[in-house]
Amino acid sequence: MGHVVRRNKGMDGQLTTPGAHREGRVGTWPRRRRVLRAVTVLLLAMTWAAACGGRDENTRLTLSGSALGPEAEVVRRQLARFAESQPGVSVELRVTPDAADQRHQLYVQWLNARVPDPDVLQLDVIWTAEFAGAGWILPLDEFADDSDDFVPAAVAASRWRGRQYAVPWFVDLGLLYWRTDLLDAAPRTLQGLRAAADRLRSAGATRFGLVWQGARYEGLVTVFLEHLGAFGGGILDTQGRVIVDQPAAIQALTFMCDAVSGDGFVPPSVLAWQEEQTRFAFQNGEAAFMRNWPYAWALLQDDAQSRVAGRFAVAAFPADASGRPTAALGGAQLAVNARSAYPDLASALVRFLTAPEQMLERARLAAQLPARRSLYDSEALAEALAIPVGQVRHILDSAVSRPVTPVYSELSEILQVRLHRALSGQQTPAVALHEAARDMRALLARTGLAAEPLTP
Amino acid sequence: MSRLPVTVAIADARLGRWLVAPALVFVLLGSLVPVAATAWEALHGHDLRLPWLGRPFVGLGNFVEAAQDARFTSALVHTITFAVVTVPVELALGLALALIMHAAVRGRALVRLAALLPWAVPTVVAALVWRFMFEAQAGVITAPLRALGVVGESFDWFVRPLAAWVPIGIADIWKTTPFVAILLLAGLQGIDPTLHEAARMDGARTWRRFTTITLPLLRPAIVVAAAFRMLDALRLFDLAYVMTGGGPGTATESLSLYAFIALMQRLRFGYGSALSVTVFLLTFAFALIWVRALGRSLIGERT
Repeated sequence: MGHVVRRNKGMDGQLTTPGAHREGRVGTWPRRRRVLRAVTVLLLAMTWAAACGGRDENTRLTLSGSALGPEAEVVRRQLARFAESQPGVSVELRVTPDAADQRHQLYVQWLNARVPDPDVLQLDVIWTAEFAGAGWILPLDEFADDSDDFVPAAVAASRWRGRQYAVPWFVDLGLLYWRTDLLDAAPRTLQGLRAAADRLRSAGATRFGLVWQGARYEGLVTVFLEHLGAFGGGILDTQGRVIVDQPAAIQALTFMCDAVSGDGFVPPSVLAWQEEQTRFAFQNGEAAFMRNWPYAWALLQDDAQSRVAGRFAVAAFPADASGRPTAALGGAQLAVNARSAYPDLASALVRFLTAPEQMLERARLAAQLPARRSLYDSEALAEALAIPVGQVRHILDSAVSRPVTPVYSELSEILQVRLHRALSGQQTPAVALHEAARDMRALLARTGLAAEPLTP
Repeated sequence: MSRLPVTVAIADARLGRWLVAPALVFVLLGSLVPVAATAWEALHGHDLRLPWLGRPFVGLGNFVEAAQDARFTSALVHTITFAVVTVPVELALGLALALIMHAAVRGRALVRLAALLPWAVPTVVAALVWRFMFEAQAGVITAPLRALGVVGESFDWFVRPLAAWVPIGIADIWKTTPFVAILLLAGLQGIDPTLHEAARMDGARTWRRFTTITLPLLRPAIVVAAAFRMLDALRLFDLAYVMTGGGPGTATESLSLYAFIALMQRLRFGYGSALSVTVFLLTFAFALIWVRALGRSLIGERT
């Protein structure tokens, strides 16, 4: 509100000054000047009235985030309820692009320009450290007491240099979808997964064994992270040192490369596939296994488009003996713009939206998994979610966040390129990962993050 | 025109300058300022996501980094190879198409319309359609090839570093051959038909007339068409972006695509600007050499 008034006053000043200069030269000027003065006064009065009215009316908060289909409905509903509870406050939803890259780019441009709105930002889990490191979002220390209730991996992703900067809103988990009509139980090891896939393929039950997201994009990194965990490897260690060139990581990538090469149990076409292409293959009954996010559940249960409705279940992605089952963590968090004019109100909005009731409503209407662990014990959540809570609950404990660092997107891009080269046979897994590690170390050194401890 | 009094001439000249000024301002604001701003940005270390590093002046540091960046050098090689391979094919096919359009007596309008259609399709739409056709599972191009045993059961164009170029190249040739054909058709229509008539009287066969009359007289049009196509091909972006995203790995990544990734995804404005400046310099250098080498000789031949 404030800056509107200031801008208009500035314009009025410009309007009146030239008139004063010319006064003596033109005979008819005094008359015109009277008119001009009247207009100026009128304009000033109007701006004043508008500004005062605006200030008295209410305070406007802005929340930016995704509003895809049912998400828009549930967030609008909740914002309206929040506004009701806060007299004189209205909350506006600013819809941003659905594509994560585009939303990220837009946010970075806004925050670089130091705009005070949106006050509350919906962040992808992998952005929080970046925005915190840049000083674009406020620390939310007042939420620290509550953080025990949240999925630990999501809490880890919301912290930077020992302080909390965001509150987990909903979570996403990498799941193994498997066919209950073809198998009695989900495979417990990677070797068991491969054996089952090969058996079903050679028996002609399905065309493909396993399908995952192998295109050169962020999804590939989450798939790799799950294989890494399965072999006991990682991308960065707790001290922030690059460990993606260690034997466990090379083993994991070699497993993936073998799977897609020649007559492997993963079709090479996955190297061009994202989530939807894998879902199409699985719902057409072409694949025995699929690695995907929870969103696919409801669509696969839809008789109208799916041939596998009622004939599949989810499990944790299996591990090798050297590692443990790992589910890549996705999802969103809420943070407060460091330039917000109403930080307290914004923080209150974050608290409201991340309360259990709101998370439950979100689960029911938008089918998004709550970030609070305690909700998974409640009957209400089991009723709200289509996906069986019992199948998902234990996978929450194997959730792992991607490296928490301000340069995550660049680390990820380095990895995407090398992984894709190895998977398409242009480099061996060892060479690809050594080069990736070299580039990552150079990046961390260049940005002054080399010796940064990553977890508090 | 009769001679004007000197004072009027000066006044006119002054007026002329004022009248030209707005146009100059637009040229300045519209092209020179952005180019200069990008070049200036290219001399700085500027990462939008790492504001704590500031925006230090690094001189040619970004260009030095590019020279040592294997991804940059391979993008440069990809871009130049793509241009050198596709443009001659487009010129040859465009010439053939132009001759057909020029010779067509019946259904002239229809032939031209059909020939020009690909050019009218937005590039992104064309790229999507071609990608569908080359898709591994049910693509109308891949499926018959697999049935004939030309490609293997699990063959996929887009996951092979060399094969991934085929759909891009074909889409580019399909899309821009009509453009070449239009330019050459205009050139063909500018050739005086009496020359052909006279040659025919003298007993010159079709091929002889083509090589001694049509081609030499068409040369200016060919030079212009080649220049346009080369400049366009050196900026290859949309086809690769839509069809392969630069993959597999970075096997089909062009310079412009890499610059886009550095700028808009990594948000490294300094380095990305340096890459953009390189694309600009590359096309500029080509245009300069092309005009010097062929433009001059053209003028020489004509006079």
